[in-house]
Amino acid sequence: WTLDNWSQNPVIDRILRVDHAGEFGANRIYAGQMAVLGRSSVGPLIQQMWNQEKDHLKKFNELMVAYRVRPTVLLPFWNVAGFVLGAGSALLGKKGAMACTVAVEESISEHYNNQIRTLIEEDPEKYKELLQVIKQFRDDEQEHHDIGLEHDAEAAPAYSVLKTAIQLGCKVAIFLSERI
Amino acid sequence: MAAAGGLRSAGWRLWRGRAVVRCQQYPPLRALQASAALRRASDEHRKEPLASSSQQHFDSPPDGHQPEQKPQGPHPSYTGQGGQESEDYESEEQLQHRILTAALEFVPEHGWTAEAIAEGAKTLGLSVAAAGLFHSDGSELILHFVSECNTKLSELLRKEQKLVQLGEAEKKPLDEFLRDAVEARLRMLIPYIEKWPQALSVLLLPRNIPSSLNLLTSMIDDIWHYAGDQSTDFNWYTRRAVLTGIYNTTELVMMQDSSPGFEDTWRFLENRVADAMTMSNTASQVQSTGEAVVQGLMGAAVTVSNAETNR
Repeated sequence: WTLDNWSQNPVIDRILRVDHAGEFGANRIYAGQMAVLGRSSVGPLIQQMWNQEKDHLKKFNELMVAYRVRPTVLLPFWNVAGFVLGAGSALLGKKGAMACTVAVEESISEHYNNQIRTLIEEDPEKYKELLQVIKQFRDDEQEHHDIGLEHDAEAAPAYSVLKTAIQLGCKVAIFLSERI
Repeated sequence: MAAAGGLRSAGWRLWRGRAVVRCQQYPPLRALQASAALRRASDEHRKEPLASSSQQHFDSPPDGHQPEQKPQGPHPSYTGQGGQESEDYESEEQLQHRILTAALEFVPEHGWTAEAIAEGAKTLGLSVAAAGLFHSDGSELILHFVSECNTKLSELLRKEQKLVQLGEAEKKPLDEFLRDAVEARLRMLIPYIEKWPQALSVLLLPRNIPSSLNLLTSMIDDIWHYAGDQSTDFNWYTRRAVLTGIYNTTELVMMQDSSPGFEDTWRFLENRVADAMTMSNTASQVQSTGEAVVQGLMGAAVTVSNAETNR
């Protein structure tokens, strides 16, 4: 039940659309976190991670144009939802923000790994450059995840509940963005 | 970045390959057995004219339909199977494609009907029963025509773009580009304009809507692509929706237009495109005014709070 009808390469189409949506959402999450914790001690750290996400988003914007991929229609929704998630988790304190980062980055790393597997199964030669990009980004997200853990994410209030809820939200977001 | 450049050229190659196979992939609507049987029958029918009576094949210059030895080279094969067939075997798709193309010249007289298809089949030396391969309301014929027009438009835009890239032509401003692209596409309807309203109503049949919508959206996407649209946010949708609206309304105006050379239609088109440009300018102005107002209010709030604390 997708809108894949006019896409020449549905595999690339989906991959780029969901990745673009993901980086866009990640940007908004860090923006929300900065809005609350920007002037705190973790401000510079969050800013640094945010800058890396901005680079990721820029790269996917270029790829979207090159492959003529349709962006997800849910972008305005991810715009608001991402910011609310970031700001909301930051209101739980620095550890809350870190917990959110850990949850999201873990979901994204797993998601990128899945995509890497798919592309390798399809045609590693044809998708060589895309694979390179995704591998690099997966490593970056993994690094963010580790930074979050280093900064006491697990000590956040209701850590496991928070993490489960956020990861469930990520799964839904991925499912929807691939298709619409 | 080398990676981006490489990917971009990969994207161009992907896209260019698309342009040829971009034709709508709508499924043949009759059982393969029926059409295979028909083809065998028409094969036998064809072999006879080569030997005996069909002087019309050899006397009149075969413009576009030639005696059936080899299928011609660049058939835009919808499913890509055509390229893999051996030289003297023609796929189902290619056969249907040739019949429909031949049928188009009979549309002004017979409309988008099985009669036109039958006449087209006759010119190819096939039995008129070949029209039985298709629906009686002419759906496939119309969809084929739309698909061909879209392909021609893509070609045209691609050539123009090449000229601009080589520096042999000026890059058009956006409103002129959109206007020219829509006009070029609508002009392809002119030979069939009398029967086009009938075609539009067939395209709106529920059975045909997925295909016709698909063709419409890919055409609009093509135009925006060549116009240089690089949006990756919600604008992607807004722009396509606006252009679709412009295209559809202009098409309807064209149906009613009786002015010489359709000048009323082109004027209507010009006005609609100008409206769209104005709207987008207004939208961005509203946004920047809004941002300025917000900043002003924030400044006022800070001033007031400073004044309060200093009191």
